[in-house]
Amino acid sequence: MPKPIDREKSQKLYVQLFELLKEKIEKGEWAVGTQIPTEEELCKKYEVSKATVRIAILDLVRQGYLTRQQGKGTFVCKRIIPEGLAMSTGFKELMLEAGVNFTTAVLAQTVLMPTDDLDVKLGIAENVHVIYIKRLRSMDNEPVLLQESYIPRHLCTLLLKEDVENNSLFDLLEYKFKIKITRVTDYIEIAYLTKDEGRLLGLKEGSPALLLEQHFYAGESQIMYMRSIKRPERFRFFIELERKT
Amino acid sequence: MADGKTAKDVMIDVFDFPHIPYWFTIKQTVGIIKKSVLGREKCVQPLAILVFDEKYNLVGTVSLKDILKGLEPRFLRQSTKAQGHSEDETGLSVLWDTLFDKEAKEVCEHQISEIMTPSKYFLEPGDPITKAAYLMLRYDLTLLPVLEDKKKFVGLLRMNEIFDELSNAILK
Repeated sequence: MPKPIDREKSQKLYVQLFELLKEKIEKGEWAVGTQIPTEEELCKKYEVSKATVRIAILDLVRQGYLTRQQGKGTFVCKRIIPEGLAMSTGFKELMLEAGVNFTTAVLAQTVLMPTDDLDVKLGIAENVHVIYIKRLRSMDNEPVLLQESYIPRHLCTLLLKEDVENNSLFDLLEYKFKIKITRVTDYIEIAYLTKDEGRLLGLKEGSPALLLEQHFYAGESQIMYMRSIKRPERFRFFIELERKT
Repeated sequence: MADGKTAKDVMIDVFDFPHIPYWFTIKQTVGIIKKSVLGREKCVQPLAILVFDEKYNLVGTVSLKDILKGLEPRFLRQSTKAQGHSEDETGLSVLWDTLFDKEAKEVCEHQISEIMTPSKYFLEPGDPITKAAYLMLRYDLTLLPVLEDKKKFVGLLRMNEIFDELSNAILK
């Protein structure tokens, strides 16, 4: 018998449903990798509307609990929760752009519409044009990092023409387009390379690699989503946490 | 004739249309059409998606027809019967539920570049719209891209504006 949704409560229905489903994931009732029930099934089970279910699920996707795969369904993901700690690491170091002698190859700098989960991950509507930048970074001629960045086009239309081979996106956004990044959230996990990613990084399809997903915010709105895949052996991550006084 | 209007006077904004890179699958493209084209109140005609390469160069366009043709359900295939069969009878006996079958589902995973209409004809911003009309009729185009210095994609021409301008000359 599922815990019921309390209609008397002042809390919005989707928030209640979000909490219920989150609990299921955190307690392991829904194991990592399993497919969750369909929207229709959840509507029936919790006696709520489809819209309520959809919003709750989208929020879980946004927060990294679930992942949607077009045509397949929604699945529970592996998640490491780095929330609740204030970071004193400079944003710039988080970009993995500064400090190291990378050489950069720009593999793509173009425009696309969001597919799969991108609209949710970037917190935008489905019909927004997005600038897509894909770069392969090498150290000593060895590819180490594959970085894909997504930025809503209307924030900085001219980014499409900028030199992203020699400039960091962080610098371009902050100094050129005057968008001040105020918050970054990071999700770090192990991913298995697709064929294409493997080819670019010089590894076999299916080999494990480090996946870093970052969401960059200016105030309340997200301005960039960056997905970085790293060869596992070349990096040690340093994050310093400091208690806010 | 048409007051010497040029391409740049009547072209429309390229961002009125959804953009995708050529490596998107047909399925992803269909998803985008469903979400950001069909069912939107503000919907620019003709319905089309623009396809770009890695460097944001336009490589083609995708219309709803391109997609249906690409999936090629049986009713679209050429009739193998030699003679005496009128065109509109082809495949009418095929039942709807067998049309978009397994095969089409496989094709869905192919890249959109396989079924798009490649962009071969372009106009410069200063070209007269009569040239646009000529190209569109000659090659049966619904959209005609405008490139600055043969490179920078600055706008799109469609029949609506061109017809409108040319018809002024007729009605005068």
